[in-house]
Amino acid sequence: MIRLRDVSLKPAGVGQPVLHSMTLSIPQGEFRWLLGPSGAGKSSLLRLLTLGARPASGQMDILGTSVTGASRGALRNLRRRIGFVPQDYRLIGEWTVFDNVALPLRLRGRSERDIRQEVFSVLEWLDVAAHAHSRPTILSGGEQQRVAIARALIGRPDILLADEPTNALEESQARRLLSTFQELIDLGTTVIVATHNESLVREAPAQSIMLRDGTLDPQAIAP
Amino acid sequence: MSRRVSPGLRSGSLPLLVALMTLLAGLALAGLSGIQSLAEGWSQAARSAATIEIPTDIPNASDRTEALVHALKALDGVTNIQKLSTDKVQDLLAPWLGQPVGSHRGLPGLSLPEVLIVAHTRGIDLSATVHDALPEAIVQEDLQWGQRLERLGTSLTGCAWLAVILIAAIATLSIGITVRRSVAAQKRAVDIVHSLGAADLTISSHIAGRAALLSFLGGVAGLILLTPLTTSLATTLSPFAHQSALPAAFPTTLDGWWTTLGILPPSLLKELGALPFIAACLGWLTAQGVVLVWLRRLP
Repeated sequence: MIRLRDVSLKPAGVGQPVLHSMTLSIPQGEFRWLLGPSGAGKSSLLRLLTLGARPASGQMDILGTSVTGASRGALRNLRRRIGFVPQDYRLIGEWTVFDNVALPLRLRGRSERDIRQEVFSVLEWLDVAAHAHSRPTILSGGEQQRVAIARALIGRPDILLADEPTNALEESQARRLLSTFQELIDLGTTVIVATHNESLVREAPAQSIMLRDGTLDPQAIAP
Repeated sequence: MSRRVSPGLRSGSLPLLVALMTLLAGLALAGLSGIQSLAEGWSQAARSAATIEIPTDIPNASDRTEALVHALKALDGVTNIQKLSTDKVQDLLAPWLGQPVGSHRGLPGLSLPEVLIVAHTRGIDLSATVHDALPEAIVQEDLQWGQRLERLGTSLTGCAWLAVILIAAIATLSIGITVRRSVAAQKRAVDIVHSLGAADLTISSHIAGRAALLSFLGGVAGLILLTPLTTSLATTLSPFAHQSALPAAFPTTLDGWWTTLGILPPSLLKELGALPFIAACLGWLTAQGVVLVWLRRLP
């Protein structure tokens, strides 16, 4: 469950808020497209929802925890329940693909044996298992994107957020990813995908969150 | 496969930095140890000695001096009495009286006193015995000199400790700056790990563990650099040591080197041996502090 009430986001050193008085509610296990032109605030909203920033004002609850007054420990635990596929992949270049993908499980204290099994399983599914021991910097954009997707999926998050997760994927891979999102939703995961890809939105009709100039366009919250 | 949960510490210069700091700290500790030993020795010697001057122009001076010596020897706590020869007294007074001319001693019309140096255990009062036997004699307890030497020793020891503390402070600052730079250089990786839910302590402990290891290695390197200097110090101290079969020169064999190091005070050897561990602790604590403070910026 994600609930925002009158939330604004104002990054340090920026005069004007980048998100204004945003109010929305997404029940657990639902899918939303996050749409809007460049600069509308999609990345800022995702940053807020991945707990990369705290709201300047308003009330934000994620998975039953009030983010506004949460302790660092509570935020840390929430972050472990959120999977994120960033647009720039955000992989650690000095680590191997395996270590990058294994990180969420290691942070949860899982055994290396389980981690190895799960990491290879997800890497094989995404067709990047052959690169498990390579550094991500030598991979193509599409391969890096699949590694980032693997890292987001591996912890079976309660919330999955993705920023343009298909822009470096082939069409068949993009469709496969959408079906994976659907499987996660069936398992109770909330999925929010920011995209400019209109054909993808047409292919999987769902409610959308439309942003414009840092505010929510209420007319667009509909299939 | 190593279990990676956080970026480590990237710093090639840290071991070198710590090695140099260890070298400086080792030198300061060696100096401190030397000062302490010397000050203690001098103070001990001065506190347990007294000088008795006996005028020679008094009746029966020689007999009464002998009687005084007997009386002093009979005292509990007197360990040695040394009667200075006239030549020695003349030498001691030469700065004031000038060198003797021919067979004449002292100044014309002024005879040189007899001087007794009495070594005793601390706490004994010679004045009563001396004045009973020879009221004209003057007793000068060297206690005052002992106290002055002790004060000098204490202030020199304080200076040496100050040097050790300053070196530790500079080392802490340098390690802190190095860690800070390393974390800033890996800001992106730290951000990623943090955003995936890594605890601040997980990140800081990972970096601090690496800082401790590099500091320990630097400390060991510093000790290796320090070895020729400590060996040289031990060789210099060897004439003062009460050991048999002491090496006469800089040792060239491992056995000789080991024997030479044995001359150094055991406390100094323990302190030097502890330096790499102290460096590791300092590295760990500093890195923990710096990284934890740095992480507070993240939401």
